[in-house]
Amino acid sequence: MEIEVTQEKLSKALNNVSRVAVGKVTLPILNNVLIRVEKNKISLVTTNLDMAVVDFLPVSESKDGTITVPARLLAEFISTLPKGETIKLSSKDDKITISAGKYSSIINGTPADDFPELPEIDEKTAVVFKMGVEEFKNSINQVIIASSNDLTRPALTGVYFNTYDNILAVASTDGYRLAEKKIIKNVQSEINVIVPTATLQEVLRAINEDMEEIEISFNEDLVRFRLGEVEIISKIIDASFPDYQKLIPKDNNIKITIDREELTRVTKLAALFARRSASGSIILETKKPNILSVRSVASELGENDSNLETEVTEEGKINLNSRFLLDALNVLDEKNITAEFANRISPIILKDKKSTDYTHIIMPLNQ
Amino acid sequence: MYNVWNNVLAEIEQKVSAANYTTWFKDTTLLQNEDGNIIIGVKNSFLVKQLRTKFLDLIINALKNNDIEVKNIDFEVQSAGKSKVRSREVLSTPTPIKNHLKSHQTTTSHQTLKPEYTMENFIVGSNNDLAVAAAKSIIDAPGTRFNPFFLYGGPGLGKTHLVQAIGNALLSKNPDYKILYTPISDFYSDFIDSVRKGKGNEFHNKFQKLDCLIIDDFQFIVNKEKSQEEFFNIFNSLYQLGKQIIVTSDRLPNQIKTVDERLSTRLAMAGAFDLQLPKFEDRCAILRAKAELLDAEIEDEAIEYIAENISTNIRDLEGELSTILLMSDVRHMTPLELIRNGSATINRSSKHHTVSSKQVVEKVAHYYNLTPKEMCGKSRVANIKNARQITMYLLSKELSMSTTKIAAEVGVKDHTTVMHGIGKIEKDLKINFILRDQIEEIKEKIYG
Repeated sequence: MEIEVTQEKLSKALNNVSRVAVGKVTLPILNNVLIRVEKNKISLVTTNLDMAVVDFLPVSESKDGTITVPARLLAEFISTLPKGETIKLSSKDDKITISAGKYSSIINGTPADDFPELPEIDEKTAVVFKMGVEEFKNSINQVIIASSNDLTRPALTGVYFNTYDNILAVASTDGYRLAEKKIIKNVQSEINVIVPTATLQEVLRAINEDMEEIEISFNEDLVRFRLGEVEIISKIIDASFPDYQKLIPKDNNIKITIDREELTRVTKLAALFARRSASGSIILETKKPNILSVRSVASELGENDSNLETEVTEEGKINLNSRFLLDALNVLDEKNITAEFANRISPIILKDKKSTDYTHIIMPLNQ
Repeated sequence: MYNVWNNVLAEIEQKVSAANYTTWFKDTTLLQNEDGNIIIGVKNSFLVKQLRTKFLDLIINALKNNDIEVKNIDFEVQSAGKSKVRSREVLSTPTPIKNHLKSHQTTTSHQTLKPEYTMENFIVGSNNDLAVAAAKSIIDAPGTRFNPFFLYGGPGLGKTHLVQAIGNALLSKNPDYKILYTPISDFYSDFIDSVRKGKGNEFHNKFQKLDCLIIDDFQFIVNKEKSQEEFFNIFNSLYQLGKQIIVTSDRLPNQIKTVDERLSTRLAMAGAFDLQLPKFEDRCAILRAKAELLDAEIEDEAIEYIAENISTNIRDLEGELSTILLMSDVRHMTPLELIRNGSATINRSSKHHTVSSKQVVEKVAHYYNLTPKEMCGKSRVANIKNARQITMYLLSKELSMSTTKIAAEVGVKDHTTVMHGIGKIEKDLKINFILRDQIEEIKEKIYG
C-alpha cells in the first residue's frame, strides 16, 4: 500500500475517524484504523461495533493494499506535522512508514484480515432521506438535549426518527421534557427508528462548512449517514419509543408571548437563587392584564422576583426546573417565543412565535 | 436446545482467541433449530456481518460436532428485551439429563440454602418492610421488576435470612428451579481453583445454567480484580437471560471499590434495599416471635428490658434471649425474676460506667491522629471538625451526657452546636458505611 496526500487532508480525515477507535479492551484491533487502498480510492475505517466511521480520502498517487494501525497514535502524529507538507504513507510487513520532508517514522500495525467486516445498507430496500446539512445540524441540536442517558431505558437514549401526516420528525425525551422538530415535509416513505444519541453526536462532530447535503438511509437494523467524504454506519436502538403525540397537551388557556432573551435573563437571575435546590425550581406566574413574574422559590440565599411586561391571556402559575427552561430557551430560534400551559400540573409548551416546526415541552415540578 | 448451544459455544471458545470469543460469540443465543434451519440471535447488526463472513464455517462445524444437522443458518438481531422472552421459551424445553445432573452436582459443593430460613419466620417491621415487599414480588415473578435485588445493611440484621428465604420460597414454588446461594468468598476461591485447573469455562457455564443466583457478603470482593471481572460477566449473561440475581452487602454498591464502575451502577439498577436497625417496637416484636418459635415463656416486661438494653443488631438480640431462656431453664426461675435479681444483667450496659469522658476524647483524638487539645476547640478544618462531632456523638450515645456538658468537654460554644454535630453524625451514619466502621473501631478502642 502506498499513498501520497497533503497533511491537512489526512489530518482532517484521521480526526473524523479516530474518535470512535477507543476503549474496547477485549478486541485490541478496534483501537486501530483500517487503511484500505483500491484503485485510487482510499478509505479510512474505524468501528466500536456499535457504529463505524468511514472517511473517503481523495489522493493523487496510490498503490493498492490494506493495513491497520493504532488510530490515536497516527492521528496525533500527523496532526503534529507542519501544515503544507506532502505525506507519503507506505506499508510493508505489517509496518507503516510515514515520511514527510525531513520527518520520518515507522508505526507497527496489524494485518487487515483481523479487522471486523462492516455491515452494509441494502440499497434496494433502504429508505432514504436527503436534507441540508446546516438544517440537519440545527434540528438535531434542538432535540438531542432532551434525550436521556439512563441505560436502563434504552428507548430514551436516542433520537426518534418518525413519519406521520407525510412529515419526517425527530423527537427525544428523558421523561421530564420532550423536544420534537419536524424536519422534512412531503415525505412518501414511512419509518419509525431510534438512532443512538452517541451516533448522532459523532455525525454532528463530522460536519464542517464545506458540506452541503446529508443523506440518511435506514434499513431494518441499521442507519447510515453520508455527508461529504464521511460515512457513519450505526446500529439502531431496538426498543419502542413512547407515543409522544399524546403527551403534548392540546387545550392550554394560559398563553404568554415574550421576548426570548428577556425571559432567558430573568430565568438566569431566578436560577441563581434556586441553585441550592436539587431541581433548581423556579415559579412562573401570569398576572392580568400584562405581567409575567418569574421568581425563585424562597431559599436560604434570599429571594428574587422579576416582573416582565408581556401579553397574557389568563392568570395562573407553574413550577419549573430552571435548567430545563434555560436549555429550551437556548435552542429556540426566533426573537419572540410563545409559552402555553393549562394549569400547574400539566406540562408547559414552548415554541417559536412564527415557525411551528419545533415544539419543546417541560413537565412541571411539584411545589 | 439451550444447553446444546452452550456446548457449541464451549467448542468454539477453544478454537478462537479469548478476545474474539468475548466480542463475537459470548452473547449469542440459539433461537430456532427446526429441521436444520438454524437461527442464531446476536446483539447487533455489526456482529452479524462478521459472524457470517469470518466465522460461519467454524459455527457449522461446531454444530455438526454436537449432532445438530445444518441446512441453513440465519442470524437475527435482537435487543435484550426480546431475548428475555425468547430464552424463556427455549428454556422450557426439556434439557438433556446429562447436563441436568452435572449442574446439580456442582451446586451441592457450595453452601446451600438452609430450610430454617423462611419468609414466614422473618419478622417484618418498619425497619425492613420495603425490602420484604420487594422480596415477595421477586417470589411472585422472579427476574422481572427487582432484578438485580440489592440488599444492604449492617451485620446481624437479617440479610442472609431474607435472601435465603427468597431462595427457599422460589424452590418450594418450583422444585426444578436451579438456585445457587454462595457467599462471595466461596465464589472467588472456586474461581481461583477453576483457573488453576484450567477449567475457567466450566466455571462460567455452571453459572450460565442457573435460574437464580444469590451472592452473600458482596463487599469482600474488593481488591479481587479478576473475580470482579468474572462476576460482572456472569452477572451480565444472567441478567440478559432474565434470571434473578440477588446480592447482599453491608454497604451500598457505590461504596464498594470495584475496578469497573459499571458493576456498581448495574447492581443498584433496580434500586438498593436496606435493612435498618430495628426500633424499640420492632425489637420487642422480634423477641416475642423468637420466643414463640422456641416455644418458651417470657414476660412482656423481660422482653422490653432486653429490647431496651440491646440496640446493636438482631443477632445480639437473639443471643441474649437464648442466654436468658437457657438460664431460666437451668435455674427454674422466670426470665423476669432473673433480671430482677441481677443474675441476667446485660453485659453491654455494665461497660458504660467504666469509661470517662476524658478517655473518649483521648481515644477519638488518637484515632484521627490529633491531640485532644487540637481536636477540642473551634477549628473549622474539616477533619478536625468531623473528629469533634464524632466525639460529641459518642459522649452522648455511650455516656448519655447532656449536650451542655458535652459542649464544655469539647470546647464548643454552646449546646446547639453539639446538637447539630450529633444530628449530622446520625444522618451520615445512615448512608456512610465507612464512618460506621470507624465509629465501631473507636468504640472497640474505648472499651477494649
